[in-house]
Amino acid sequence: MLTIAPPDLPELRANATFEALMWALARPGDSREMPEAGLAAIIDTLVDLECSVFADEPGLRAHAAATAALVTDDVGSADHVFLTSLEGAETQLERLRCGSALYPDDGATLVAMVQHGRGQRVRLSGPGVDGTVALTLAVSPAFWAMRAILCAYPEGFDMLLVDGRSVIGIPRSTQVEVL
Amino acid sequence: MAYVATRGGERAIEQAERLFRQDLGAIDAARVESIQKTMPYLIDRVMGEASLYSEELAALALAQTGGELSEAVLVLRAWRTTQPRIAIARPVQQDELLTQRRISAAFKDIPGGQILGPTLDYSHRVLATDVLEGKPFTPPAVDAAARPAPSRQPSLANWQRQQGLVAPVNVNAVAPEDIPDFTREPLLFPASRAHRLQSLARAETGGVLALGYSAMRGYGNAHPTVNELRLGEAEVVVRHPRGTEFSAGRVRVSQAEVTSKEKGGYLELGFAATFGWNEVKVIAAATLDLNSAEAPVGSAVHEEFYLYHTESVEASGFCIHFKLPHYVTFQSVLDAMRDAKATKAAADITPVETRQTEPAE
Amino acid sequence: MSLASLTKPWAATSYGFLDASAKRELRRKMLKAISVPGCQMPYASREVPMARGWGTGGLQVTLTLVNPNSSVKVIDQGADDGVNAASIRRFISRVSGASETWDTLAASIVQSRHRVPEEVMGEDQVLVLQVPNPEPLRGVEPNISVARQMHADADYGKLWLTLYEQIVRKGRIMQGAAYPSMVNGRHVMTPSPIPRWDVPKLNMARHLTFLSAGREKRLFAVPPFTRVEPLVFSDRPYRVEDHADLTCRRSNVSGFFMNELPIDGGGSAFEVSDSNLGIKAIRQAEGAPAEIGKTWYRNGEFSA
Repeated sequence: MLTIAPPDLPELRANATFEALMWALARPGDSREMPEAGLAAIIDTLVDLECSVFADEPGLRAHAAATAALVTDDVGSADHVFLTSLEGAETQLERLRCGSALYPDDGATLVAMVQHGRGQRVRLSGPGVDGTVALTLAVSPAFWAMRAILCAYPEGFDMLLVDGRSVIGIPRSTQVEVL
Repeated sequence: MAYVATRGGERAIEQAERLFRQDLGAIDAARVESIQKTMPYLIDRVMGEASLYSEELAALALAQTGGELSEAVLVLRAWRTTQPRIAIARPVQQDELLTQRRISAAFKDIPGGQILGPTLDYSHRVLATDVLEGKPFTPPAVDAAARPAPSRQPSLANWQRQQGLVAPVNVNAVAPEDIPDFTREPLLFPASRAHRLQSLARAETGGVLALGYSAMRGYGNAHPTVNELRLGEAEVVVRHPRGTEFSAGRVRVSQAEVTSKEKGGYLELGFAATFGWNEVKVIAAATLDLNSAEAPVGSAVHEEFYLYHTESVEASGFCIHFKLPHYVTFQSVLDAMRDAKATKAAADITPVETRQTEPAE
Repeated sequence: MSLASLTKPWAATSYGFLDASAKRELRRKMLKAISVPGCQMPYASREVPMARGWGTGGLQVTLTLVNPNSSVKVIDQGADDGVNAASIRRFISRVSGASETWDTLAASIVQSRHRVPEEVMGEDQVLVLQVPNPEPLRGVEPNISVARQMHADADYGKLWLTLYEQIVRKGRIMQGAAYPSMVNGRHVMTPSPIPRWDVPKLNMARHLTFLSAGREKRLFAVPPFTRVEPLVFSDRPYRVEDHADLTCRRSNVSGFFMNELPIDGGGSAFEVSDSNLGIKAIRQAEGAPAEIGKTWYRNGEFSA
């Protein structure tokens, strides 16, 4: 009564991308490999008709629009925010959606291209981290300060930081200490 | 292995299913077609609860479940899960419906007239036992009316609005694609009206009737008067990607509007609609809708209460899940109970009833 | 643009049964569930070809995760060959091509009703618990909207009060399975109706746990290394079922959670609830190779 075709390529790509994102957020600070570099595959994995998307680059906006998501110019109304750079984005990101204590899931997912292993050293602790973990990310202290103000747990936003095919997750539950 | 031999799980479930299907016998297209042709009201009920309009698939679901209604609805809902949503139909206006039946209990006559259409309302419910004695029942032919009723009928509520009896419509222009879709997003409370009416549209008929009836008997705060009850067919108008709007077909629909009393200088209206012709369901559902506004939390007419408890697939599924083994949880309860008894025997504490804090799992 | 570009070639069903949009919604909610451990995330919850209340929530999570390289174990009451476990496992492998296993150590995904396996799960494993009632406050507050507000306010006073009342009236906390537990110091969750024996296995675990209620349309998660603390008073320690000294009549293992089997003429016999652990022990006794992994309990004592 039920015949199931094997997965096609988009299905396999989304499945593997999600697995990387899932473990990245489940183990903050751990780097995970996605099947392909960049943000496009993440858009295909997470976003569709039900989502509103902000992106800082025309190609990403077009890609998001093709999924039937609502593409908005207003960071504050987007549930998914895709940035090719976090540099100087603090002011804009102050309007990032953080959900409410009633519905924390309304907090945005911020996906950004950020170099791993360069820049500011930080120490992470919280769920998913065995004690603490230190790592270096090209994210400014000003950004972390802004995040600390916005993320009044369980309100907050969740971050996926992409460098090539690698992704590091920092959910709102993680305490970030700038070293 | 020892464990397999004692439980024999896989083989047992396979054979149990075979037994069920063997009792029903072979299912072919003729059987499906016969169900579809002879049981239109059953098909309607199933399509409404499945929120899937296909007479053929509903008949197939009935055939393969032997008419076990909650199973038939489940099998259709599960099939629906696998189907993409490719277009959003234009909202249907009452006066565009091809109307076969439309009555009002609020007025003796209404603009457009009382159209009885097909109904058993005034028939004597006598079992046609002659059929079993070899005398087939052939329905007498219908005499055509001298003046056929127009196929489209105005909305009574619109007339009432012109008379200032019903509050003007608060037209808030929502693009069709922005109408919330209950099947694609979780139901949260307070529910949007769209979610409430969508949930009622696919609610279990018997459940809606039971709770609606409790409101009618006095557990609600509003006793319904049927303002307008309508059975008709609606065009499913969708937009082609090139921009042309076209009708993809027609679906049978029922609608009920009930009213009760004045609020803020206007009559309040409760509304319900569903796929298929199912008058009991829409009247009961409209009664629940009407009663929602002032409903005490936890009462049968409170939307959280009736929407959760009339959801056919969830209610029937949870009910039958109690057949599953629960011996781990039971063991856990036994352990606490034995220990408490032993402690009590030792200390001889006077027994006091505690209330159960664990809801059914 | 044409109609064809909006849809896809006709297929009876999608890979893994759920269509792509259902999977994307689950993925979004699963990420949020990880980000706020123990907090119930609402989701649409599609109908699947199984009755609600029979593991449809767990199934939707598993179907979102699964791929042809996955290895899936499904247990009900600890047993791989329970009728519903067998039915779910067969369905998953049929619609995904994933391999089936009974071995906790070999599984990439373990879907379970009412138990956490006795062998320690590793850091690349996912445990999916089927949840009948996701709301730990249901017993003190049946209205779901009011209960949600209580979670938002971290207002767990009513729950503490019932536990206290039980101690006063019965001399102990009477909660059987589904023991309410504080996650990450903020949200109280039900660990699903697992016995008290199993709750410590979720605390600071290496694996990732999803808990999903299909009928009630809520999912939540416990990431690795996350605090899961049963609600207890400091002077009344948490007590697991008194099974440490019981021995399985088939496999002879002891110190694990047991099924009690009434026997003719009174009294009870016991069988280990984690059936594959029992099978491994029997195999070992017969001299066949069967690796039993590290277990959470050793000699009846929890030692993470």
